[in-house]
Amino acid sequence: MANERLRVLEDVEKEIAAILQCAGNIVLELSKDKHNASFLDRQLVQFQSSVNRVESELSGQIRYLTQVATGQPHEGSTYSARKDCQMALNRAEYAKVKLGELGRTCEVMLEQPQQHQQPT
Amino acid sequence: MATQRVLPQSKETLLQNYNKRLKDDIRSILDNFTEIIKTAKIEDETQVSRPTQAEQDHYEMHVRAANIVRAGESLMKLVSDLKQFLILNDFPSVNDAISLQNQQLRSLQEECDKKLTSLRDEIAVDLYELEEEYYSSSSERCFLVLFGACWVWSCLLCCTCSAFSSISN
Repeated sequence: MANERLRVLEDVEKEIAAILQCAGNIVLELSKDKHNASFLDRQLVQFQSSVNRVESELSGQIRYLTQVATGQPHEGSTYSARKDCQMALNRAEYAKVKLGELGRTCEVMLEQPQQHQQPT
Repeated sequence: MATQRVLPQSKETLLQNYNKRLKDDIRSILDNFTEIIKTAKIEDETQVSRPTQAEQDHYEMHVRAANIVRAGESLMKLVSDLKQFLILNDFPSVNDAISLQNQQLRSLQEECDKKLTSLRDEIAVDLYELEEEYYSSSSERCFLVLFGACWVWSCLLCCTCSAFSSISN
């Protein structure tokens, strides 16, 4: 849900850039000797819709924040679950080390009879 | 429908300030753009000479264009402030994120401990077979391997005991 709201705000930033782009395109087209009326209409419609969309989205976000903000700091934490998980991974790593040592011991024991059997 | 909370003065003032900035910037963009379009209209009769009028219009358009850009940048700053406010004060989404993270960490921990427990049980079976082999022969190799397996099994037993104690806590 938080990511969705942040993504909406990033879209609003792109809309603001589109507003300035449309305004520039309109003025650029008006500076020409012969104007393309359909292009001007399209750019103007896009400009107006972008401005309305930006205003409505930002007003909506401010209204939502007015409803959910409490003014208090959030005291939630994932520390205990993270610590327990870290300890579980440490246990698994420790078991892996010990099994590795056992495996090496078995290999050493298997090599020893072969060394005894080699002719001197 | 959620009722309006009683916010501390600073938070409420901040949100009102955000609203004001939004309204002012949108109004600035629209007004300045409208004036630029009006200024672009060429009039037949002017109070000053045509070059002077053109120079004045040119300067006015520059200033109004700069105002539009300033209002756009102010809106970008407002969006940035809103993002920051959202991350810090949107408690429903923060709670959801925390509970999801806790759930993922706990499931990882349980999977780890379950695998350790099954490993301990498998080694216990192998240890039993090794013990039988050891007690039925006098091989030194058997003794060393049996000792190593006992050691690993006791380590795994300690691991699973600590896992169960952490779960009960």
